[in-house]
Amino acid sequence: MIKLEHVSKNFGPEKKVVNDISFEVAPGETLVLLGTSGCGKTTTLRMINRLLEPGSGHIYVNGKEVRQLPPETLRRSIGYVLQNTGLFPHYTVSENIGVVPTLLKWDKARIHERTFTLMDKLRLPAADYADLYPHQLSGGQQQRVGLARALAADAPALLMDEPFGALDPLTRISVRKEFKALDEINNKTIILVTHDIEEAFELGTRICLMNEGRIQQIGAPADLLFRPANDFVRSFLNPQRLQLELKALAIKDLWTWLPAHTSTSNTVPLTAESTCWEALETLTSSPATVVYQQEQKVIDGNGLMAAIAACKK
Amino acid sequence: METPETFLDFIQQQSGKLLEQTLTHTGLTFISVLLAVAIGVPAGILITRRKRLSVWVLGFAGVMQTIPSIALLGFMIPLLGIGPKPAIVALFLYALLPIIRNTFTGINGVDPSVTEAATGMGLSRRQLLYKVQLPLALPVIMAGIRTATVINVGVATLAAYIAAGGLGEFIFGGIALNNTHMMLAGAIPAALLAILFDWLLSLLQNINVRKARKMLYLLPVILLGLSSFYLLPNTYHSKMLAGFTPEFMGRKDGYLGLKSVYGLRIPTLVISDMIMYKAAYEKKLDVISGSSTDGRVKAFDLMVLEDDKHIFPPYYAAPIVRNETLQQYPELEPALNRLSGTINDSIMTELNYHVDYLKENPEKVAKDFLVAQKLWKPAGSRSKGSIRIGSKIFGDGYILANMYKMLIEGYTDLSAVTKTGLGGTKIVFDALTNNQIDMYPEYTGTGLLVILQAPQQVTDSIISDPQKVYDYVSTGFKKQYDIKWLKPIGFNNTYALMMRRADAEKLHISSISAFTHYVNQQ
Repeated sequence: MIKLEHVSKNFGPEKKVVNDISFEVAPGETLVLLGTSGCGKTTTLRMINRLLEPGSGHIYVNGKEVRQLPPETLRRSIGYVLQNTGLFPHYTVSENIGVVPTLLKWDKARIHERTFTLMDKLRLPAADYADLYPHQLSGGQQQRVGLARALAADAPALLMDEPFGALDPLTRISVRKEFKALDEINNKTIILVTHDIEEAFELGTRICLMNEGRIQQIGAPADLLFRPANDFVRSFLNPQRLQLELKALAIKDLWTWLPAHTSTSNTVPLTAESTCWEALETLTSSPATVVYQQEQKVIDGNGLMAAIAACKK
Repeated sequence: METPETFLDFIQQQSGKLLEQTLTHTGLTFISVLLAVAIGVPAGILITRRKRLSVWVLGFAGVMQTIPSIALLGFMIPLLGIGPKPAIVALFLYALLPIIRNTFTGINGVDPSVTEAATGMGLSRRQLLYKVQLPLALPVIMAGIRTATVINVGVATLAAYIAAGGLGEFIFGGIALNNTHMMLAGAIPAALLAILFDWLLSLLQNINVRKARKMLYLLPVILLGLSSFYLLPNTYHSKMLAGFTPEFMGRKDGYLGLKSVYGLRIPTLVISDMIMYKAAYEKKLDVISGSSTDGRVKAFDLMVLEDDKHIFPPYYAAPIVRNETLQQYPELEPALNRLSGTINDSIMTELNYHVDYLKENPEKVAKDFLVAQKLWKPAGSRSKGSIRIGSKIFGDGYILANMYKMLIEGYTDLSAVTKTGLGGTKIVFDALTNNQIDMYPEYTGTGLLVILQAPQQVTDSIISDPQKVYDYVSTGFKKQYDIKWLKPIGFNNTYALMMRRADAEKLHISSISAFTHYVNQQ
């Protein structure tokens, strides 16, 4: 659990980089700090593990005020992932992953086992990769090692600073998917910083949109999309609105507006939890059959688009 | 000459000394590099954390680097005397800059995302330094240590000037004696040492620190071992310590003669004559090889020991004049001879003391002396003609030339001009034979050995008798150059062994024989 109460931070006497931020993130939840460069999102993140000291306000991690702990102890209980990985170039892959467990004085066998388990989960088979050095890996592999390092000590909280920002778009999507599918993150309190709206919507349980050091809106992705708090939020999301809406809406959300077709030739099955984005991908090849609350409907592309338009009205 | 035929002969003959000098050189180099690492690396680390200090620290080390090495060694003498201590401190200061700067650059060059990740994961500052910053900066730091080592192998040759030993003894001895073999016997090993150390350190530069951590712990041990070579030759037992110039060390009419003729056995240090007198005064040395009429003999209250077995050739000063000039102006010779017999060694020393040490004007010193001797007369009519008086650049010459000018103008109707500062023997003598000057004061020994270049057996047979040397050069100059040696002035500016007056009197030592007896007794 991570909690911020009225946190502010100044660089210099005038410039308020972070201005009265408060939020709470529960275990199992991923809060995305979203905003343009200089909005204060990274500064906020770095205050949580005390890479920066808060100017005023309180920050609690797992129920403890961060300033009550020595910074090293605090940081060892929080996983940390950086955009440029920051892997130690003179450590092998397995040594890099084992850094924090070593600091915590785990015994060697336990570190070894933990390291190898994580490498397998992240599709870096230990037999092939354990003894390589970071410079021998591709960007995506390096970022996976960075993830494994942050997860190694099984810390209850995880801070991620644009973790996929340095990857090319295709690699970014695949690493992101793997991350999302990791069982390791299930019960963690995660705060992720990004300027990538699509990433925020895909990974965030909730999104905290920031501008000029202030929170503009904090809420579930659909809240920001369909109930923007102000013009800034609306205009920030506009360029990708359609795509985001398709991803935010599930078939079941549109159920009342979908026509009750019954022709059943050449359909494929689709679940009601699928997003419209996923449904459209399927519908390009053939119509689909969806069952929701004991009712069956056959939908095609046109029907879906009409339903979306009707829903937004 | 005793110069062996080939370079290899020389090496073979001097192998013991060469080994000792090489070990001393290695020791000097590494003890100073070790100190520089011990101070420079922490200093470099400190300034990565206190950036404001970095300007001052790097500035200080940079200024040290720009001081000419011989001057830096010179600055150390008043503080630390002579010998290894000032040499090590000077070398240490030279080695500082590359080590501090490379440590600073190396640590600052570590990828900031790596240090941020390390801090963010909970490494303490200490762990960050030892686990991340130092290992990653190591190649750069090692490059700094390599640079410092190579610089120090070079600069350490100059340590010979302040009696710290090393290969500089051969190099500067060789230069002073014009002995190529000796010079190369110092220069080649010095160059080889530089290459060897650079190569050895390059092996260390790129090792993987974490795999070879034990090797790294060995490094200080190796450095300490190499440094300890310096302690080996320092096993003097005698109560007396001699400091000789590189030239004196290698000359038959110098240290070699002291050994063979007097049988003197004394531990010696090689030292530059610039600092030798002061070192004797400050009791860093007990006996030195000076020049008998040097002003510093008086300034530092030293006593010249009598050369009772006559190994030092006589260097009696006398004016030498073109016969042509003497015939044209017959009144010139009696005027010049008035100075004869008036200046002995101690008076010349006194006069040099006034000029060299008290920085008085040579003209004033010359006039004061002539007035005191009641030889001074106001200038005559200066109507008859002009005599051109030359001199070498050394102190004796300036003063004597001025005296002769006053004597000529006081006792004849001639005028005189001085052309002082004509460099060494060759320049001033060529000026005389080419009728650029009419006269200058010269030494009998120089006339014998440098100008006439008398054959070895002639030199050997007459060298111990000043009168015979004077007769030989008089005859030789008249025959070869039509130049006349007038009467000697009286003083003998030759090599001399000298010690502190107080010690000499306490031990009742006045001659080299007595000194040898005292030293060899111990």
